[in-house]
Amino acid sequence: MGRPDARTLVLAAAFLLALAAIVAPQLQRPTDAYRLLAVVDITGSMNVRDYSFEGRPASRLDTVKRTLSGLAARLPCGSRMGLGIFTERRTYLLFEPVEVCADFAPLEGAIGALNWRMAWEGDSYIYSGLYSAIDLAGPLDADLIFLTDGQEAPPLSASGAPAFSGEPGKVRGLVVGVGGVEPAPIPKFDRDGREIGFYAMTDVPQENRHGLPPTGSEQREGWHPRNAPWGADEAAGQEHLSAVRTDHLKDLAEATGLTYAPLADAGTLAAEVEASARPHPVAGTMDTAPLPGALALLLLAGLYLAQLWDRRPLFLRNRRISAS
Amino acid sequence: MIGLDVDHPAFLFLLLLALLPLATSPLHGTPLPAVSLAPRDGFSIAVSLGIRLAGALAFAALVLGLAGLNLKAREVERIGSGANLMLLIDRSVSMDNTFADRAPGAGEESKSAAAKRLLTEFLGRRPRDRIGIAAFSTSPIPVLPLTDHHEAVAAAVAAIDRPGLALTDVGRGLALALDSFDASAASGGSRAVLLVSDGAAVIDPRVQAALRDSLKRSPVRLYWLFLRTVGSPGIFDKPRVPGEDTPQAMPERHLNLFLASLGVPYRAFEAGSPQAVADAIAEIDRQESQPIPYLERIPRRDLARLCYTVAAAACALLLAARLAERGLGARRSAGSDLTGINTRRAA
Repeated sequence: MGRPDARTLVLAAAFLLALAAIVAPQLQRPTDAYRLLAVVDITGSMNVRDYSFEGRPASRLDTVKRTLSGLAARLPCGSRMGLGIFTERRTYLLFEPVEVCADFAPLEGAIGALNWRMAWEGDSYIYSGLYSAIDLAGPLDADLIFLTDGQEAPPLSASGAPAFSGEPGKVRGLVVGVGGVEPAPIPKFDRDGREIGFYAMTDVPQENRHGLPPTGSEQREGWHPRNAPWGADEAAGQEHLSAVRTDHLKDLAEATGLTYAPLADAGTLAAEVEASARPHPVAGTMDTAPLPGALALLLLAGLYLAQLWDRRPLFLRNRRISAS
Repeated sequence: MIGLDVDHPAFLFLLLLALLPLATSPLHGTPLPAVSLAPRDGFSIAVSLGIRLAGALAFAALVLGLAGLNLKAREVERIGSGANLMLLIDRSVSMDNTFADRAPGAGEESKSAAAKRLLTEFLGRRPRDRIGIAAFSTSPIPVLPLTDHHEAVAAAVAAIDRPGLALTDVGRGLALALDSFDASAASGGSRAVLLVSDGAAVIDPRVQAALRDSLKRSPVRLYWLFLRTVGSPGIFDKPRVPGEDTPQAMPERHLNLFLASLGVPYRAFEAGSPQAVADAIAEIDRQESQPIPYLERIPRRDLARLCYTVAAAACALLLAARLAERGLGARRSAGSDLTGINTRRAA
């Protein structure tokens, strides 16, 4: 018996590779997962309908809920996400981070149940909510996703937001700006939750008249240093309309060591999270079986295709011969 | 039902490769001008089919192995004993104080921390329950829908010792808890609401009517775990002067009277210390154990190794066939069955 021919060798190799695939080891490979605390602004301005979904107007809050569910579905397994709500001056923790794959159903249910009526007060001190969210996230060893439109209600005083007293960059994550750039009217509800129109200019404070008056106020009509330091006129402004306050949120993000990102689809948000949050390695395995398996498949396919080429019909051979 | 699944469905188009063995064979073969030279022979046909099948099988098994064939994780419904339980937790500021109504000092436990510790123990003893959590303060806050994912429940219970919010609006909190029993809770198991609070408030008459209405339609058992602060009015206090007997003056007593008047099984536990709270929870533990359907999760099973085993066996068959192949020129085994087969194959 002579030297085994190529076919035998290829078949033997495919057989051995298939055997190798059976016993191929599962390599331990840590994968990156994330530990997040998502905090959703549920104040009144989040009811503004300046997004659309399936051709219909959608409120900011509904859009945020949909995006968060999508984000939870996209995060690698082993990641954990907690949920908090923000209104008034504080962030309220609903639950500590839970695993996004194993506990997806309750997580999605809880995100779906977020509602502006959970708010215990109507004010919206964004900076204070963000600072308290960072305080909550720190002990949980979680990174933050703070979703807000950045509209302070009442407006910030002339001196701006109080400085962040924590350590910037200790908690990382995103400040996500929600809302359109065009100011849009804010829906108004009665005590039973029925919508009764929109806020008008006189319904909301247009200027914060606590603290020191802003520079240049002495130019205002009727200004008097003691009796009318902000001028004599009623404040007028756009505070009854709402647009995303990108500059304010960027400033807050910079002061606290977070990253600003505008709200986009869940895929983009997931990429932003991966770019800004601290990865936590979780034990993962990498199966090495596909490597010998794929080689075996390649060899076998090559063998059969070569055979097919050898046995190609006569007219193909004729053409080749006549061409050469 | 068996749920087969693949991790990478895109690989499945490679299954077309399994058609290759129908067109050709991996053997060397011998070209012959006419098939009729070989006699028809059942065994040869069987072996020829076998070689084709083995080839197709090798391709299919390799592709399925690469695509990551697996038996999906399943959930099997079983009957255990437990309840559909909504935990309705008071998150007003006073919960942050100790039972002696002070800010907790070193070694002291706030009411919310005590509630957290005891509820965590309670959950550990009741693995079959479907549990939901709602909190209330000035407004009712749904935290978790009814779920049998106890890790998520534990994460929500772990969050209740954070600083509380504002006031106590127990009526709307109860209404939220009653609304949280979904259709799945109707399928079996008792339904109960466990109210954990350290105070009460006047319930708006309209909310009272709504609660009565809701409980008429779907009755639940009510438990009130009253974390009584030392010196504060209790549930069972009697009015000292006649004019004091109003909901405004004695909200705890009147909430108790209201809950008892709802016509559903109701028990109140007045707990003045962490030990009393533990006793109350043990009592609830005894009462809420009716049959309840629960889902047991069966983890996924990877079938890729099985696929590779099949592929290896098929390759072994092909290899054996190749090793047994004798061309027409090989005289040594002329006349044997195998020669006949290979002649047919060659044709």
